[in-house]
Amino acid sequence: MHGNNPLKVLAPADAVPWISRRALLGGFGVVGLSIAASAGLSGCGRSQGFAASAVPNGEVGNQLNVYSWGDYEDPEDIADFEATGVRVQLDSFGSNEELIAKLAATRGTSGYDVIVPTGVYIPQMAANGLLQPLEHALIPNMANLDPEYLDQAWDPGNKYSLPKAWGTTGYVYDTRIIKRELTSWQDFLDAASKEAAGKTAVLEDSWEVVAIYLAAKHHDMNTEDPTLLDAAEDYLVNTLAKNIRAFNSTIVSTGIPQGTFALMQAFNGDARQGMLSSSDPERWKFVFPTPTANLWMDNWAVATGTQHPDAAYAFINHMLTPEAALREVQYIGYHTGAKGLKEAALADKMELPDLVFPPHDVLDRLKSAVLNEAQERRVQILNRMESKAGA
Amino acid sequence: MTQQSTLAPPVATEAGSVQVRNVVKRYGTATAVAGVNLDVRSGEFLSLLGPSGCGKTTLLRMIAGFEEPDEGDIVLAGSSVVGVPPHKRPVNTVFQAYALFPHMSVAENVAYGLRQRRTSRAEIGARVTEALDLVQMGTFATRNPKMLSGGQQQRVALARAIVNRPKVLLLDEPMSALDRKLREEMQLELKLLQRRLGITFVFVTHDQAEALSMSDRIVVMLDGRVQQVGTAEDIYTNPATSFVAGFIGKQNFIAGTVAGNGRLVTADGEIAAADADAAPAGSAVLAAVRAESITVSTVRPDTDVNVVKAAVGAVSFLGETIQYQLTTGSGHELLARVPPLHGELLPAGSTVWCSWAPAHVQVFPNPHPSTGGQ
Amino acid sequence: MSKLSRNSVGVAALAFPTWAYLAFFFIIPVALVLWYSFGFKPDLFTAHDNSVLSLDRYFETADPTFLSTFWNTLQIAGVGTLICLLIGVPFAYWLAVKVPSRWRALLLALVLVPFWTNFLVRTLGWQILLAPEGFLSDALQTMHLTTGPLSILYTRAAVQLGVVYNYLPLMVMPLFVAMDRAGASLREASRDLGANRWRTLWQVTLPLAAPGIASGCLLVFIPLMGDYITASVLGGAQGNMVGQLVANQFNSAQNWALGSAMAVVLMIFILLTVAIVGAVILAVRAVLRHNRRVVMDRTDIESAVIEEAAA
Ligand SMILES: Nc1ncnc2c1ncn2[C@@H]1O[C@H](COP(=O)(O)OP(=O)(O)OP(=O)(O)O)[C@@H](O)[C@H]1O
Ligand SMILES: [Mg+2]
Repeated sequence: MHGNNPLKVLAPADAVPWISRRALLGGFGVVGLSIAASAGLSGCGRSQGFAASAVPNGEVGNQLNVYSWGDYEDPEDIADFEATGVRVQLDSFGSNEELIAKLAATRGTSGYDVIVPTGVYIPQMAANGLLQPLEHALIPNMANLDPEYLDQAWDPGNKYSLPKAWGTTGYVYDTRIIKRELTSWQDFLDAASKEAAGKTAVLEDSWEVVAIYLAAKHHDMNTEDPTLLDAAEDYLVNTLAKNIRAFNSTIVSTGIPQGTFALMQAFNGDARQGMLSSSDPERWKFVFPTPTANLWMDNWAVATGTQHPDAAYAFINHMLTPEAALREVQYIGYHTGAKGLKEAALADKMELPDLVFPPHDVLDRLKSAVLNEAQERRVQILNRMESKAGA
Repeated sequence: MTQQSTLAPPVATEAGSVQVRNVVKRYGTATAVAGVNLDVRSGEFLSLLGPSGCGKTTLLRMIAGFEEPDEGDIVLAGSSVVGVPPHKRPVNTVFQAYALFPHMSVAENVAYGLRQRRTSRAEIGARVTEALDLVQMGTFATRNPKMLSGGQQQRVALARAIVNRPKVLLLDEPMSALDRKLREEMQLELKLLQRRLGITFVFVTHDQAEALSMSDRIVVMLDGRVQQVGTAEDIYTNPATSFVAGFIGKQNFIAGTVAGNGRLVTADGEIAAADADAAPAGSAVLAAVRAESITVSTVRPDTDVNVVKAAVGAVSFLGETIQYQLTTGSGHELLARVPPLHGELLPAGSTVWCSWAPAHVQVFPNPHPSTGGQ
Repeated sequence: MSKLSRNSVGVAALAFPTWAYLAFFFIIPVALVLWYSFGFKPDLFTAHDNSVLSLDRYFETADPTFLSTFWNTLQIAGVGTLICLLIGVPFAYWLAVKVPSRWRALLLALVLVPFWTNFLVRTLGWQILLAPEGFLSDALQTMHLTTGPLSILYTRAAVQLGVVYNYLPLMVMPLFVAMDRAGASLREASRDLGANRWRTLWQVTLPLAAPGIASGCLLVFIPLMGDYITASVLGGAQGNMVGQLVANQFNSAQNWALGSAMAVVLMIFILLTVAIVGAVILAVRAVLRHNRRVVMDRTDIESAVIEEAAA
C-alpha cells in the first residue's frame, strides 16, 4: 500500500507555533494522512495491544497530563484547578498528525490523560482505539454546553469528545489601503489582485486556500468534482499565486501590528488577537465572508491508557464551568460552546466581541470541512501555488 | 655560468651606503633606540652586536621600513627614506626565522621578488637558477620549504634576498637557529658571498665570535645606544668602555684606585698597567684582564708585579683551552683560560700563581665605585 | 595472526574513542535517516514503517514545491555564503592585521555577541526591526530616505539579511584565525621583496588563509542549507527554504519516511555543491600555480613528480 500512497505531504503546516496562540485550527494544514490507508485501518486491528486505561474510582490523585495546542488554555484556569491538589503537566503539539502519531506510537503509554483533537479527526482516532469513551456522569458541567455545539457529525452523542473551542475562517484587511467595503470571498480575490497585490497572506492549509475559490464561485467547499478542482487550480495558480506574499497560518497575530500585509486570510480568533495588539485597531476590518466558510471545532477527549481518569474528568468538568468558559474565551479568543457565553462576555466588556460571536446569519451559513478523497488534489494545488509564488 | 657578471658588480659605489642620523624609536614609554648615528659604507660587512633587547632588530626594521623613526633620519644611497614604504626601498632582508612562504616551492619563493618587478619569465628562470646555485640549493628548487633543514632554509632565504640584487642586505640573526658546526660553515660561505657580490651587509648578531670573524666593522650597542664602532681588532684590543671590554671575550674585572706611578691599588695588591695613569690619581677604576691573558703556574713566576696567589675551584675543559675558576686571597674570583700544559690538568683545591703582563691590563673608569666593580 | 595485523588491531583499539564518537554522533544517525527514507508512512497513526522498502519517497521529493524550494535554498545559501565572505574577509583582515592586539579580544567578543542570545530570539528581533510599522521603517521615513513604509519583511531579501546576520560570526572566526596564523613576518617578507599591500594580500595573506576561507564557507553554507528558523520567521512565499519542508515532515506531518528522503536529497545536494565548488577552486589554483611556476634552465633538479607525491 506504500506504493500508491495517494497523498503528497508537502503542504507544510506552520512551523512556528510559538508565535500564535493557536497554530492550526483548521486541522488540514499538514494533511499527512493517506485517506486510502486510514480508511482501511479500522480492520487492521490497531486497537489491539494498547495499554489498558485505569478505571475511575473516585480518587482524583495528584497528577494530570494534558496534551494540547500551544498556549490554548488560560493559565489562571489551570492554576485554579491545581488548587484542588492536582499538579497539571501541560505539553503542546503543533498539528493533529503530531498528536496522533505520538498517541499511536506509544500505544497507550504516552502518559497523556486529556487531549485536544480537532473534530474531523475524531472518527479515525476512535476507530483506532486512541480515545477512551467518556463517562458523562463524571462530567456534570456538560449541562453548561449549548446543545447547538453538541452531537456533531464526527462524534454522534459525544461518545468520545466535548467541545473545547470553535472558530471560523475569514479575512482581515487594512482599510487604509483597501478603501472599499469587502464582504465576500469574491471580494477577497478581487482585492488580492488589485489593492493588496503582493501584500496578501493566505493560510498554509490546502483545504482553506482551495475553499477561497470554491466559495467565491458558490461551489461546495468540500467538492470532489475534478472539473471544479481544475478550475480552482487554474485560477489559484495562475492568477492568485503571484499576488501572495506569504503562506502562513500564524502570521496574522504579528502581521496586523507590524502592518506587513493589506489582506490576510485568517481564523477569527487569531485575527482578533492581532487587532488587539495593533496600535490602531480601527484600521483593520475582519470579514465573515459570504457565501460560506469553514466551521471547525477542537474538543476535549481522554486518551486510551490514561492513568488518571478521575483527574481527567475533573479537569474537563472544571473547564466547562461558566467562570472558566468566560476566562477561556477572553484568553484564547474563541467561543468555547458554553451556554450564554456571549451575554456573559458582553457583560464583562470583552473587546471586539463581534469577532468571537458572529451573528446568527453568519453561523447559519458556515459549513464544516470534510476530509475526503480529493484531499490529495487540494495539497497538489497548494504545492503548485507555493512553487509559483516562490519562483 | 658567470655569476660574477650577472649579479651585482664588485664595485663599492655610494649606492650601497646607509646613514643613520640621530635616530630615536620609542615604544610607549620605553625607548628601543635612543639616538643612534651610524655610517655604513657601500660594500661593507657591518655587524650590529649587543645583548638581547638593546635595539638591534628595531634599528634594522627602521632601515627596512617596517618601523618609522620617531626622530632623526635614515639615508639610503644619498636620499632619505623616512616615510618610504618597505616595498619601495632598495634593501632586502633575511629574517631571523627566514619567513619563507610555505605555500610556494623553493624556486617560487626565490622568484617572488622578481615577479613583483614584472621580470620576464625567461629572466626569472635564469636569475633564480643562478641565485640558488650560488647558495648551493639548485637541486632543491621544486621542494616545499617546510621539507628543508634549517641551514637549507637559511640559504633559500638568502637566495630570495640576493636574487633581487639589493644595494643593501639586512640580516637579522640569520644563523641563530643553526647548530654550531653548520653555523661556522655558513659564516664562511656568507662572508665569501658578500665579498663576491659586493653588497653592503648589515648583520645583526649577539654572538661576538660571529661578529669578530665575519665583519669589516662592528657596532657594539647597549640600551639603544652605540657604544663603539670599529674593526674587530679595534674592539678587541681597544674597547672604548668596560661594557665593550666585557662583552668581547671573557674579561676579569678588578676594582682599584689609581696610585699615580703606573700602578693600581687593589685588594690583592698592586697591579701594573700600561695605561694606568690615563685616569687621575686616586680615582676609582676597573682593571680588565682577559681570561686568555692570565698565566697559571704551580711555581711562583719570576716577576714581582701582577702576580696573585689563588686556589683552584672548578676546572672545565673547553677544547682548545682549559678554564680555571680561581679564588684570590681577598676572595675575588678570576677566570683563566690556558692552553693544556702537557695535557695535564691542575687539580681543584691546589694552590697556584696567576700572572699577566702589564700590557694586557686595560683600565676603565669604574661605573659603580661603591660596589667595587662587577 | 601476524605481528602486523595484531598491531593494527591494537591501533584500532587505541582509536576507539574516535570511531565511537563518529559512530554515535554521525554514522548511526545518518544510517537511520537513510534507512527510514526507504520506508513509508502507512497511516495517520504511524510516523514510519520499513516493512516494505522502496525508492518511492525519493520520487515524491521530485515535487515542484520541493524542487523550487530547493532552488531557492541553494540561491539563498550561495548568496548568503558569498556575502558573508565579502564582509568576513575584509573584517577578518582588518582584525588580524590592522587592529592593535590589545583590542582584538574585545572585538572578537563583540563579533560573538549575537551568539549570546537564542537563534530564534535574535531572528524574531529582525522581524520586529524590519516590520513596516517598525522602528527602522519609521526612522527611514522620518529621515525621508524612503517614501512609504519599509516593505522588506517576508521577502527573500529579509531572509538573505537574516542569514547573513546569523551566520557571519561563523565566517569571521575561522578567517580571523587563518589570517592571524599566517603571521606578520610573512607579510613583512612580502613587502620587503617589493610587493605592496594589495599584492601581499592576494599573493600571501589570502592563499595562506585558504583553509580558513574554505572552513568558513563550509561552516556557513552547510548549516545554512538546513536552516529553517530564519526562513520561517523572516520569509514569505518567496523566502522558503528546504529545511522548513524537512522539519514539517518530522514535526507536524509526522511522515518520517518522506522527511528522511528529503534530508538525504538535501545532504546529497550539499555534498555535490561542495564537491563542485571544491573542484572549481582546485582548478583555479592549478591555473594560478601554473602561472607562478619558475622554468629553470637546468636538468639536475629533483624530479618534480617525486616532490609532488611527497608533499
Ligand atoms: N613592537 C614593540 N612594542 C614594544 N616594545 C618593543 C617592540 N619591539 C621592540 N620593543 C622593545 O624595544 C627594545 C629593543 O628591542 P629589539 O627587538 O630591537 O632588541 P634586539 O636588540 O633585537 O634583541 P634580541 O637580541 O633579543 O633580538 C626591547 O626592550 C623591546 O622590548
Ligand atoms: Mg632582535
